[in-house]
Amino acid sequence: MIGEPPITAVEKALHRRWRVLTPLYIILALIAVIGTVGAVAGLILLWQFTQNRTPHYADIVEEFKYGSIGAEPHSGIPYPIWRILPTLFPEAFEHRNDYSVFGFLYENDANGRQRDLPIGISRRTYRNVEVVWFNCATCHTGTVNATMTDPDGQARTGTHIIPGMPSNNLDLYRFITFLLEAGADERFTPDNLIAAINKNGPRLGLVEEILYRWYVIPTLREGLLMRRSRLLPLLKAQPPWGPGRVDTFNPYKLIQASMSLNTLQPKELIGTADFPAIFHQGPRRGMHLHWDGDNTSLAERNLSAAIGAGVTADTVDFDTIDRIANWLLQLRPPRSPYHPDAAAVARGREVFLRQCRSCHGSQDSQGYNFTGETIGQVETNRELGVDPHRLDSYTERLRDFQLANFFKGTPHQFRFFVKTDGYANLPLDGLWLRAPYLHNGSVPTLADLLNPPQQRPATFVRGADQLDPERGGFVAPPCVPPSAPGGRFCYDTSKDGNGNGGHLFGVTLATDQKADLLAYLLTF
Amino acid sequence: MFEDTAKDIIFTPLQFKNLEVKNRIFRSSVSGRFDNEDGSLTQTRINWECKFAKGGTGAIISSYVPVLMEGRIIAGYATIHRDDFIPYWQRLGEAVHSFGCKFIMQLSHSGRQMDIPGVHNYTRPTQSSTSKRESLHGFLCRAMTTAEIHYTIDAFAKGAWRAQQGGLDGVELHAANGYLFTQFLSSGINDRTDDYGGSLANRARFLLEVIQAIRTKVGGKFHLQVKISAVDHNNVVPWEKKGNTLAESVQVAQWCEAVGADAIHVSTGSLFPHPLNPPGGFCFETIAATYDAMISSGMSTLRNYFLFRYPILRPVFRWAWFRMKRGRPVEGVGEDEARAIRAAVKIPVISTGGWQNASKIREAINSGACDGVSIARSLIANPDLPQFWAKGYDLPPSPCTYCNRCLLNAPKNPMGCYEPLRFADHNAMVDQLMTIYNTHPILQIPTAEQVAP
Repeated sequence: MIGEPPITAVEKALHRRWRVLTPLYIILALIAVIGTVGAVAGLILLWQFTQNRTPHYADIVEEFKYGSIGAEPHSGIPYPIWRILPTLFPEAFEHRNDYSVFGFLYENDANGRQRDLPIGISRRTYRNVEVVWFNCATCHTGTVNATMTDPDGQARTGTHIIPGMPSNNLDLYRFITFLLEAGADERFTPDNLIAAINKNGPRLGLVEEILYRWYVIPTLREGLLMRRSRLLPLLKAQPPWGPGRVDTFNPYKLIQASMSLNTLQPKELIGTADFPAIFHQGPRRGMHLHWDGDNTSLAERNLSAAIGAGVTADTVDFDTIDRIANWLLQLRPPRSPYHPDAAAVARGREVFLRQCRSCHGSQDSQGYNFTGETIGQVETNRELGVDPHRLDSYTERLRDFQLANFFKGTPHQFRFFVKTDGYANLPLDGLWLRAPYLHNGSVPTLADLLNPPQQRPATFVRGADQLDPERGGFVAPPCVPPSAPGGRFCYDTSKDGNGNGGHLFGVTLATDQKADLLAYLLTF
Repeated sequence: MFEDTAKDIIFTPLQFKNLEVKNRIFRSSVSGRFDNEDGSLTQTRINWECKFAKGGTGAIISSYVPVLMEGRIIAGYATIHRDDFIPYWQRLGEAVHSFGCKFIMQLSHSGRQMDIPGVHNYTRPTQSSTSKRESLHGFLCRAMTTAEIHYTIDAFAKGAWRAQQGGLDGVELHAANGYLFTQFLSSGINDRTDDYGGSLANRARFLLEVIQAIRTKVGGKFHLQVKISAVDHNNVVPWEKKGNTLAESVQVAQWCEAVGADAIHVSTGSLFPHPLNPPGGFCFETIAATYDAMISSGMSTLRNYFLFRYPILRPVFRWAWFRMKRGRPVEGVGEDEARAIRAAVKIPVISTGGWQNASKIREAINSGACDGVSIARSLIANPDLPQFWAKGYDLPPSPCTYCNRCLLNAPKNPMGCYEPLRFADHNAMVDQLMTIYNTHPILQIPTAEQVAP
C-alpha cells in the first residue's frame, strides 16, 4: 500500500536512505542516461563523421559523367548550398534555376525530368556532409548540334552530348569567378543560406542546421575567401578564358603549390588553352601528353588532371580513376558526320600523307592510324611559331614542386613531368569535334588554319556547337570585342595568350589542294 | 587405530576446576529454530541435544542462548531471559545427564549480529559497542549507553544464575565469532571513546565485568568458560580493519583466567559465519535458496542475495570469502592459536575448527595444543562419532564433508545434515532431519483461564 509507514528498523533506515539518496540516484541515473545517450549519439556521429561514400554506376559512361574521382572533400560545395546558389544569386545565373548559364550540361532522367546535377558534377558524402564537385567529364564532355547516326543506326538530329570530346560549352572562368565573388558577397551568410536551403533546397534537420550554421558554411566561406585572395588577382590579370578553355597550371601554382602571385614571372601568368579531347588514350601511350608535351605517362597525366579538378593525395579515388582511365584507352570518337566528295578526300589524303602524317598520323577507312615519324613528339615553338603563353606557363619551378610533393612516398609519386620548349604533335582523331583549333583554340575552323595567320579571323564567337560543314569546325561568326551578340563570348586573338599565329603548315598550298586537304580532314 | 580406550586421551576425563567431563569431546554450539517465539524451549531441542548425549559426547555446549530478547540472534531459539524458563532448561539438563553427558549453557547476546530479529526486535536497531553497521550484511545497530551495558552485564549474571538453578553443569560466555562480546573486544569494530573502548583493557572491560558479575552471582564453584576468537580476521569485507591479533587474544584469555574463568574455548573470526569458522565449503546454490529469509534483516542483504543468486556475480563473493582460506587446513584450523593460548594460561583450553579424525584430535591434545575439542558439523553428520572412535575408527564410514550446507540452511530450514552425498536420496535426508521432531507431545485442552484474551 502506498504511504504505508515502514515497520522494521531496516525499512526505516532504507526509507531514510532513499529520501537522502534518491535525488542523488536520480542525478546519477540522469547522468547515466545522458551519458549513454551521449555515447550512442557520439558513436553515431563518429560513424557519420568518418563516412566517405559516393554512388557508383554500373554503366561506365554514367560513372564518367557522374561518378566521383575524389575532388569533393577538399574542393567541393555542399550539395544543399549548390542547390540554392541560383536562387540566392539570380543575376549571376541569369534567373535560371540551374548551372547551365556557365555551360554545364544537363541530361534528363528516366522520367524525362532534368537531372539534379549536371554532367561533370559528382557527389560524395564526406564527414556527413554531401559535397559536389568536378570530375573528368566536367572538362571533357561537349555537345554537337548535328544530324548523327546513333550506334543503333538511327539518324538523330539535335544536340548530342559527346563524352570524351573537349568541353565547348563550359565557361570555367566565369564559374570560378562567380564562386569567388559569391564567397565575399554579403548575401553569403549562414542565415541567408540556411533560409534558402530550407525554402528551396533539401530541408536540413536540427543537427544538420547546427552543423551548417557553425561549421559547414563558415568553413566554406573561409575557403572561398582564401581562394579568392589567391586566385582573383590572377584571373583579373588574364583575359577571360571563354567557354571551352582553362588555364591549367597557374591556378595550380597558387592553390596546390601555394606560390605567391608576385613570385611568378610575367610571361608565365597566362596559360589559357583549350580543353583537350581524351579519345583513344591507349594508342597515345609513350607520346608526349598535354599541349606542351610535358609528360609521357598516362597515369601521371591523369592524376595531374585530377589534382587540377580538386583531388588531393588524401581524397583521391584511385578505383574510379583507374576504371575511367581503362575505359578511355579504347574510347573512339563518334564517326564524322561530314560526307565530303570522295575524290577530293582521296586527293587531300595524298597531300596529308605527304605533308602532315609524320607529325599527326592519318585517318583511313579502318579508323585512325597513330603512326608517324614524329607523332607525339615535341616540336619546338621556334618551328611552330604559335602563341607561346601556354608553353611558358609551365615552368621548371612548378615541375620541381610537383616532383617533390605530389603523392610523395607512394607508388604514384610524380616523376615524368618535364619542361619542354615547344608543343606536342598530336594525333587528330575526332578532329571534327575539336574546334576551335590550335592549343589555345584561336583558330575557329580547319579552313582558317590552312590560311596564313593574317587571314585567320581576328575575332570570333566561341561556344557554339553547330557544325560548319564548309570550313570544318563550329560556327564562329566574327564579333566585336568585348562581347558577342546574345551575351556570347567574343574571342579576341589580340589578347595575350589568344594569338592565332604559327602552324604555317599547309598555308602555302594551292587553293584546290587546300580544298582537297580540308575534305580529307573533315573525315577525321 | 587406537584399540585401548582406557589409554586413549580422547576418552580420558577432563577435569576442570568445578567440572569433570568424561571425555575430551564437546559438542560445539549448534541448533536450529526448534523453540517457541517467546523463548521457551521445546521437546524438539531436548531431542536434538540427546542425539549427541547418546552418541557419546562428553559435554554439550548449548546453542547460543540469549540472556535478553534484544540479544537474540535468530528468533525461534530458546532463551534464558526469564526465571520461569528455568524448569524447561532443568528438564533438558536432566535429559542430557541421563546419557552421562554434561550440559553447558552458552550465554550470548547478538549485539549487532542479529540474523533474524523476530517480532520482538523488528522496530529497533540492535545494541552494540558501535553505531557502525555490521560489515557483511549491513545489520543496523547503535552504541550502548553505559546504563545499557550495566543492564546487560546483570542480564548475563542472571542468565548464569538461572542455568545454575536449573542444575546445568556450567555456562560458556560466547565472546567469539562477532557477537556482542566480540563487538566490544575487537579493535576492528569497537570505536567507543569511553571506558569500554580504545585500549585492549578497555575493550575487554565488558567481558571481564560480566565474568565478575557471574562469579558474584553464582559463586566460585560453578563452571564458567569463555569462548573467544583467537584472531579476528575482521577484513572479510576487504575495506574493514583486521581487528584483534593473537597476542591481544592471549592477553584477553589471561585476564579471563584472572577474574574467574575455568576454561577458554578457542575459535576464530569476528563475524559468523566466517571463512575460517566453520572452515570448509560454501555452496552458492544452497545459500541462494535460504538467504532470502534474511533479506529484510540488513541494509546489504539484498546485495548479498544477488551475489549468491546470480552465477555471474558469485566470483566477487567467492574471491572475498576464499582468499582467507588459502593455505589453511579445514581440520584443526585453529590448532596453532589454541596452542598459543594454552601455553599462556593454566586453565584448560578447548579448540574448535573442523575436528573429525581421532588421530588428529589425539595429536592435538597430546601435543599440548588443547585439552579437548569441540565439534558441531561432524557430530551432526555422525552423532555417535565418539562411539566410532571408541571402536577404533579414525573416521566414521560416512564422514562430514565440511560442505557447510547445514550452516547455510540454518536461516530457513531445520538443522541437520544436508550433504546429498551422505544420503540415498532426498527423502532419506528429510527423514534424517525430521527425527528430532518425533516429540509425541501431551496436548492439553486449555481451560478458559489459560486461553489468552
